[in-house]
Amino acid sequence: MKSNRFQLLLALLVTTLTSSVFAQTKITEMSLDRWAKLREVERYQLNIAEKYFKEKKYDVAMSEYEKYLSLYERSDAASFAQLKWSLCLNQLRKQNTAIKEGFQSVIDYWPDSPDAAKASYLIGRTYVAIGRVSYGKKAYQQTIEDYPDNPVAVYSLSGLAEIAGQEKDETSLVKIWKRLAFDIERTKLTASTCASAANSLASYYFGKATFPDALKSLQANYKEEQLAYYVYYYVRSPLGTLVGKEETNVAGLRLADQTVAYLRSNLETDLSTDELKAKATEQWNRMIEVEKYSRRDDKVLAAYKAMLATFGNTDAILGSLADYHASQKRYDQARSIYRQFKDKVQGLAKVAASFVAEGNVTEAVGVYKQLAGVDAENAATWKGAEAAAYVGVKMYPQAIQIYRSLVASDALNSQKWLWALATTQRDANQLKEAIGTFRQCENFPENYRQMAGCHRALKEYKEALILYGQIIGGSEPMAPWAQLQIGYTYEQMASTELAIKAFQKCCKEYPKASYASTAHAHLQNKYKISVTLGGGTDE
Amino acid sequence: MNAIKTLWKQKTIKIGSLTALVWFFALLDWLWIHMLPDTLLVALFAAVLFGSTAFFHRQYKQRATNKLQFWAAFTICVPVWWHAGIFFCEWLGLEVFRAYFARGGLATFFITGLAWVIWALEKHAQQVEAARRQEFSLDNVLQRTQSEGRDESHKIWNPLDPHAWYYGRKAPRLNQSLNGFVSYSILFGLICMILSQFQGCTQYYDLPAGGGENQAVQQVVKVQKVIRTKFILNPYSAINYNTPELDDVKLELNEVTAHRYTKMGFGEGEGAGFAGGTSDGAVGFVRLEYPGGDWNQDFGIGGDMNMLLKYAELTGQKIAKKTQAYSPAQLKTFDGVRCPPLLYITGQQNISLGNNDVKILQEYINDKHGMIFGDNGGSRHFHNQFISMMQRIVPDVRPVRIPTDDPIHTRPFQITRVPYVAPHGGEEALGWFKDGRWVAYYHPGDIGDAWADGHAGVSQDIWANCYRLGVNIMSYAHIEHAKWRLAQKQSDGEE
Repeated sequence: MKSNRFQLLLALLVTTLTSSVFAQTKITEMSLDRWAKLREVERYQLNIAEKYFKEKKYDVAMSEYEKYLSLYERSDAASFAQLKWSLCLNQLRKQNTAIKEGFQSVIDYWPDSPDAAKASYLIGRTYVAIGRVSYGKKAYQQTIEDYPDNPVAVYSLSGLAEIAGQEKDETSLVKIWKRLAFDIERTKLTASTCASAANSLASYYFGKATFPDALKSLQANYKEEQLAYYVYYYVRSPLGTLVGKEETNVAGLRLADQTVAYLRSNLETDLSTDELKAKATEQWNRMIEVEKYSRRDDKVLAAYKAMLATFGNTDAILGSLADYHASQKRYDQARSIYRQFKDKVQGLAKVAASFVAEGNVTEAVGVYKQLAGVDAENAATWKGAEAAAYVGVKMYPQAIQIYRSLVASDALNSQKWLWALATTQRDANQLKEAIGTFRQCENFPENYRQMAGCHRALKEYKEALILYGQIIGGSEPMAPWAQLQIGYTYEQMASTELAIKAFQKCCKEYPKASYASTAHAHLQNKYKISVTLGGGTDE
Repeated sequence: MNAIKTLWKQKTIKIGSLTALVWFFALLDWLWIHMLPDTLLVALFAAVLFGSTAFFHRQYKQRATNKLQFWAAFTICVPVWWHAGIFFCEWLGLEVFRAYFARGGLATFFITGLAWVIWALEKHAQQVEAARRQEFSLDNVLQRTQSEGRDESHKIWNPLDPHAWYYGRKAPRLNQSLNGFVSYSILFGLICMILSQFQGCTQYYDLPAGGGENQAVQQVVKVQKVIRTKFILNPYSAINYNTPELDDVKLELNEVTAHRYTKMGFGEGEGAGFAGGTSDGAVGFVRLEYPGGDWNQDFGIGGDMNMLLKYAELTGQKIAKKTQAYSPAQLKTFDGVRCPPLLYITGQQNISLGNNDVKILQEYINDKHGMIFGDNGGSRHFHNQFISMMQRIVPDVRPVRIPTDDPIHTRPFQITRVPYVAPHGGEEALGWFKDGRWVAYYHPGDIGDAWADGHAGVSQDIWANCYRLGVNIMSYAHIEHAKWRLAQKQSDGEE
């Protein structure tokens, strides 16, 4: 039941996001025909207002739209200016005024304008946005009744679907999706909303393990040649959820069988050209992927076997099969397949990676050394991988030695190796050396941050404070964090008074940063100080 | 009868009974009757406290001679001290200590009772066993062994007898003690539950009588510029226009500067208050004492009491003498209609509400028309805790950002931007809107700290706005509740 709800929500989210974004774009724009009919002076004033609207300076834009309304009240675009004025109010979080004095005015004063329908829809959407769902529902229904042939009726239906989802009214939700997917004629303005609803419906049916209905929903959106891909795309998540639960496992496996059968029936059989071969490979991979989601090991292996029989032993298919074995922790089988690669370097790299994943560093290092010999051109990369393998098992001295040699030998990537060396030295507790290496790095302020951390670990607090000060001066986004760290550093130095001042400064200087919140809570909890300074207002 | 008369003649018994009577009466008046003036009540409680302590002190000195009498005196004194402690904490406004006294006292009372139960059981068991030892006859025992098996008709059912068949043979005394403990605990719990359900335990929250309007009272200067037809003049024109000096131009400004001294409240009545309120009624500030976290942040004098005082100052309405805290179970004891309209929840740690607590809060919002005012006292964690708590209480409502032109942000004071002390849960005030009203308001940045003494060191502009926002929310909740109470009254009248 819960999984169904989750799928329902997921499907709803897809519909809502895509359709509302689309609706938003179209609603805030004026048609070219109307624009062409405007006088030059009107266009000039409207352009000024639009400029500020696009720059998100809504209060300025609002007064410019107001100016337009005062100067060109009888203009064809007056209703549009009123609509945009209301949208500015919406952005300024004065939604109640936007509804009552903005959108409603468009409907009352310009009932025949194309903006009246938009305003009617926007009333519904704004009501929902401020939590007045029942009012929003009524407004949407009114819009559908008043403007049945307008695209806003479709957007309103989509809005009603969103409300039905929120109210967990599954019957209404499916009914609306069906109407949007199958009954409404798709135009340039409504196609996206209808398509989203059809996709959501497909996801919903996949979640219910009813393959034919899901397929029918997708058929409303996609051509025959695209369909197989979208079946694969939308079936995966619901399939994984169904198979993962004991009570729905049987239904999930049935769905997997139906999907695989469908994908198999659409396989490309003509492998005469490379292009067709690539297409067929992709189709096979999708089919195998579905089997992986159904968690049937034997079927996955059988599918790979059939694929290898069809296409021969290519590195790509072998790699995919071996990766699957590795994902099932059958490392030996995986490695034996990797070693069959035609591209020996790639195969060995995969073998080494599988040793690392298994935690067998000695073997991995051996393979990396072998790789450095075989692929001398990329020796630095393989050495780096070898060092990373050492770091993974905390064999720091070996890693440091390799990184040092890389810094000296691979000048092109010296910054990368310096950073790797510095972090390894830090992890190996060679803090003084780490500070020296971090100093050579060029990624300010991250290197300063690390250096300060090392100084604090060495109890060299004054040096750490200097570095934090430099971060405050040099990096605005990191300044609140650095100020907070100054407080903690003073705390470590047992300078309570200075620590309190530093925390208070964090609250005062950066009241909107989340670090101010941390500093405020720290002052209250640790020092029982309520006077934390700071404070602000929302935007 | 004669024994009672003899007892009554004893001086100690006379004094003890009189003290008990006074204590009982003071308790009744404090909790339910509310007839005596505060000073007299304080005097009565002080007298009883003093008397009981003196009595206990005397018993303490003589404890070596009569231990049992000493413990009996202690048992009698426990409820007296317990209630006196709560009373004086409440009187002195030490709300946090009041909660500790209430819990500690109950726990001590429980433990004392338990000790007596175990002592009585043990005593009785010893008596039974002593009697059995006296009746012991070897022949009977041998005869019983020979007859193989026990005679079912001789099964002992008396729970006070350790040889009762259901205590078994392995550790009958231990099982008897366990039985005593479990039975006592269940009985104690049941009595507590029954007492809390008892009509006399129902609490009431009355609104102050009066009336008023829900209007914006802050001075608003609205300048409306009249745009006239513009003439573009040619300065080189042969026609001479008499252009007036700029200072002589009288702009047509429509200035609304009148400060409207409206009564704050709802309905018609004398003074600021609420229609349907009572002369004893007062606006209170009630917070939820939830399990799991630091519910008592900025509680009482110097904390939320400041807000309550400011509310009185800004609205002219009658307020309660102190702020209150109730656990979900205590909240349940409030009357279905006369219950607190607003429940403040703050903290920075966990909110660990059980399913029963959630049900109580659901009932509070849906059936008792209450409103929750959440305030993030210091962490992102509390933000998540509050949001998930609301998700459990009103699962069908999604939180939204409250518009700046919503009545809750405009009446009686205009709050153009939500003020905060620190952005613990972001900067946005969130609301849960259900059945035509806000059922919950969430402040993300420790508004309670701005109300407290020192105002967390934030600027006056911010803390003054925090007070105004607090007044708006309290006023909104009380007006909505007053409307609902009137509607309930009317529907009851129609029925």
